[in-house]
Amino acid sequence: MNIALTICWKEWRVALDTPLGYVVAVAFLLAAGFFFGSNLFLAGQADMRGYFSIMPLLLMFFIPAMTMRMLSDEQRSGTFELLATMPVRTRDIVAGKFLAVMAQVSALLALTLFYPASLALIGNLDGGQVAAAYLALFLLAACYVSVSLYASALTSHAVVAYVIGFGLLFGLFIIMQAMPTFSPATQDFLAVFTPLAHYHFMLRGVIGLDDIGTLLSVTVLFLTLTWFQLERRRWR
Amino acid sequence: MIKADQLCRKFGEIYAVQDLSFHVRKGEVMGLLGPNGAGKSTTMKMLTCFLPPSSGEASIDSVPLQDSIAVRRKLGYLPENAPSYADLDVLSHLKFVGTMHGLTDATLLDRISEMERLCGLTQVMHRRIDELSKGFRQRVGLAASMLHDPDCLIFDEPTTGLDPNQIVEIRHLIRRLGEKKTVLLSSHLLPEVEAVCDRMMIIDQGILQVIGTSEELARQAQGESVLYVRFKESAEQVLNLVAEAFPDIEVKARDTNHPHSYAIYHSDADLPLAEKLFYSAVASDAVILEMQPEKATLEDVFRELTGAAQ
Repeated sequence: MNIALTICWKEWRVALDTPLGYVVAVAFLLAAGFFFGSNLFLAGQADMRGYFSIMPLLLMFFIPAMTMRMLSDEQRSGTFELLATMPVRTRDIVAGKFLAVMAQVSALLALTLFYPASLALIGNLDGGQVAAAYLALFLLAACYVSVSLYASALTSHAVVAYVIGFGLLFGLFIIMQAMPTFSPATQDFLAVFTPLAHYHFMLRGVIGLDDIGTLLSVTVLFLTLTWFQLERRRWR
Repeated sequence: MIKADQLCRKFGEIYAVQDLSFHVRKGEVMGLLGPNGAGKSTTMKMLTCFLPPSSGEASIDSVPLQDSIAVRRKLGYLPENAPSYADLDVLSHLKFVGTMHGLTDATLLDRISEMERLCGLTQVMHRRIDELSKGFRQRVGLAASMLHDPDCLIFDEPTTGLDPNQIVEIRHLIRRLGEKKTVLLSSHLLPEVEAVCDRMMIIDQGILQVIGTSEELARQAQGESVLYVRFKESAEQVLNLVAEAFPDIEVKARDTNHPHSYAIYHSDADLPLAEKLFYSAVASDAVILEMQPEKATLEDVFRELTGAAQ
């Protein structure tokens, strides 16, 4: 665990030292602010459902960008050889990289807490619902990070990693959008595999164990795939 | 200390390394020589548990490669081109590598300042690595590989990209390390290996060709020894005398700017040819202006064994 935290700390430093982290953060906050504000003044209600339903789309664009170079750069610059020949286990590498991106995403989400806080000051905001939505958003972000991390492990080019990551997330999004066209039985089946569907369930303010379970298991699934992908290239 | 037994690595159907067996003793500096693509890096990647071997076994300090975490703790490895985190400054990079190797905060800074001194990094400690020259990056890589004070060091082409002064420095450093530690280094530069290593092995197309000290290797070379000689005047008589004494030799006139220059080829390195030539010249009153013996060098061995001679 110590190893994972060391990797996480290093990535955090790199993110603070390089422009990419700031560019992504500023763009994300601008976009989030825009979607928060535009709905708010049209509806005139202390309600954030519109904002939360648009957030998965934003994350779909931004999380692959924050994750793309995590493993692909290591392979391109040869530092993966350095990392892989240190006395560390592959699972620590995967965990460290995952935690690093999660820390950055969490920091960004924490900054957006400003919106519900300001709404609560001027209106009567349903705090429980917002809290559930933030939990859902956090879990969905974890899902997206693990998918993007897997994409990053597949290639040594950051841009290719972005495209693959975005493609995979877009695939999940499309399944969700196409859901109503399937028969109810198929819908039930697909819902198990669609993190987005569970995210939308949680937006209602109900925290279901199956929703949390699905979001977490998709995360674990893709982290395991990432682990497999890295393990293929190195010794156990 | 480093032991390889029938190590093989296949990429598809092609063997990158085939049946490689060798043993590096404790406190020895071993050179791994070979042309580009001979399998040097692949061998090192297997020994450092980066690439699993297709078959065969190896151990570091009696720990088999399968116990990879324990093996990696014993090893310091400098990969080819000394990769390091370009976005970090040198100090952060070294701190990161040290922590990953399990150094505690107390020893970490001590070790870093020792490496800083040893590798001459003082002036660049707070510079970002991607701003550094190739030579400094190489030194950062060396420092990182030795940070956790391993007993066994594996360097893949440690002096590429360095200027002649730095090459000499790094060679001194490796020699000094070799007094206490076991070092395996690869290179395609012969003088380097000759200057630094106790023993060396030459591999070509993944197969071990020869292993031994540089003298042993040179002796094994089948290349003939040559004696170059130049007389003041025509000296047919001297050459005839020598040829009578040693029937195996071959005398050829040399095509140089100087007249009366000859090259005398012989296969027996211990032949007292120069001596005989001198006395014959004295006996026939001829004057020798120049005489230069040339033995098979490591370069000849290398060229012969790696197929460049054909």
